[in-house]
Amino acid sequence: MSTEWHATQDEILRYVRQELPFPQVWSVDAHLGSCARCRAVLAGATDAAPARRGWERLEDELHAPQPGRVERALGRAGMSEHTARLLMATRTLSRPWLLSAAVMLLLTVLVAQASESSSMPLLFLAVAPLLPLLGVAFSFGPGVDPTYELTLVAPISTFRLLLLRTAAVTATTTALSLVATVAVPGAGLVAIGWLLPSLALITLSLVLMSRLDSVVAAAVPALLWVGVLVFSAALPGDAPVPFTTIGQIVTAAAAVAAGLSLSLIRGRFESHRPSSFTPHVTTRRLS
Amino acid sequence: MTEPTVVATHLTLNYRKTPALADVSFAVGRGIVGLLGPNGAGKSTLLRIIATATSSYGGDLRMLGRDPRNAQDRLEIRRRLGYLPQEPGFHPRFTAFEFIDYVAILKEMTDRVRRHAEVRRVLTAVGLADQQGKRIKALSGGMRQRVALAASLLGDPEILILDEPTVGLDPEQRLRFRELIADLGENRTVVLSTHQTEDVAMLCQSVVVLHQGQIHFEGSSPQLAALADGRVWSDSVKDPRAVAAWRSADGSYRNLGMPPDGAPTLPPTIEDGYLMLVQPTAGAAVAA
Repeated sequence: MSTEWHATQDEILRYVRQELPFPQVWSVDAHLGSCARCRAVLAGATDAAPARRGWERLEDELHAPQPGRVERALGRAGMSEHTARLLMATRTLSRPWLLSAAVMLLLTVLVAQASESSSMPLLFLAVAPLLPLLGVAFSFGPGVDPTYELTLVAPISTFRLLLLRTAAVTATTTALSLVATVAVPGAGLVAIGWLLPSLALITLSLVLMSRLDSVVAAAVPALLWVGVLVFSAALPGDAPVPFTTIGQIVTAAAAVAAGLSLSLIRGRFESHRPSSFTPHVTTRRLS
Repeated sequence: MTEPTVVATHLTLNYRKTPALADVSFAVGRGIVGLLGPNGAGKSTLLRIIATATSSYGGDLRMLGRDPRNAQDRLEIRRRLGYLPQEPGFHPRFTAFEFIDYVAILKEMTDRVRRHAEVRRVLTAVGLADQQGKRIKALSGGMRQRVALAASLLGDPEILILDEPTVGLDPEQRLRFRELIADLGENRTVVLSTHQTEDVAMLCQSVVVLHQGQIHFEGSSPQLAALADGRVWSDSVKDPRAVAAWRSADGSYRNLGMPPDGAPTLPPTIEDGYLMLVQPTAGAAVAA
């Protein structure tokens, strides 16, 4: 197919040296795809390695599947494309999962609005920290990530991948919870009392994930949280202990301590990860 | 044998106090080695150790001259290793291309253009270039298996570990797989686990038979077949003295064990040799 214009020799040289600025590079990309004459110039203009690189890039522009809307949005927000692709494999960032979280929050808000003692929306405050924890538990680990076995033997840092997914899931579910917080009636600052407990619970679960299955590692702090709420509800006072000033300070200290522990044991994530693999053993016990 | 790339010495692994592997030692170099054994023999356990998925084992392992228990060595091994697990998992929302692209990122390929070129290369190698845009959930079982194999080929690994790669494939797909694996074994170490003797007979330069967590045989396919030399005979009936017997295509029984006096014996196959090792009563026949 002939075209009306042709890339100049200089443009092609700068193209293969990757010195051509955007969006000029896109024009040359598109043009090379349809112009045999310029492709011949490209092939003859440079030594093999940069030319091959140029061809690969052209091939990629022409044939690689385009990323989805979310991936493109993450890219526009400054995230590298490979990081965005890693996040796309996170189950708890999928639409059904986030929709479930939103419905759960909506229900707790409705209960708070219907409650006569709306100054302390206990159900909302109890559930809000558990949602991100649940999201983290089901984002990475044996039995919840279908490619977990491949991740185990890949050179990528398991710890980095875990933190990446945790950050993404926490940010997303926390944003949902914050939106819900606005709808909680008349609670004032108390309504964001779940933020620090949420952070502490997630960090503690990450520490436990170095040795335990991710779901178990999240269940332990979740039960601890429920236990603390039930116990403190029995104590005299207007608000359960975790939502008092002292309670928030203690929770923040626990989060910091868990964070420090996580930093110290991060090497464990690369060698001693739990696995869902169960050997079908028919071995005789050896005497 | 070429310079060994995988050297296992006295490997042991207990699963809830039951030994899954017991004192397993072997060495493999370039080429295809078949790991043969019945279900539960310890094949997948052994392959997971070699694939660096677990380091909770006793004994010593050296891969490419490195120790997988050492963090830096393990990282280097993982960069030069391809692994197809027994039950490869997929993110069903991904297309074939996106899935392999994702695995390539796990393998530290962050340059988009080069990574995509590599993804296209491995998809072409397994014959799925035309299916790259299809969602995984829309692919057949055989195609999914090829996607998983393609993922294991990323980065042209020096050691390729394939756990039951032909399970669930129809005969034609199995044939294509064998051709592909045979090509792959030309210039790298391929450790192939299977319980199908045909795979081993057609592909493998050497065989390790694992049974009840222990190595019962290490050698070539003809050597494995030779274990049943003089132990296979044909009869119109199933001989009660046989440790295993099955009806062959011509209607006669192929008996395996200690033949009766004067019975003409048949040339053994690799399957006969294998059965002599893993049948509960065959050990006595071998010793006799």
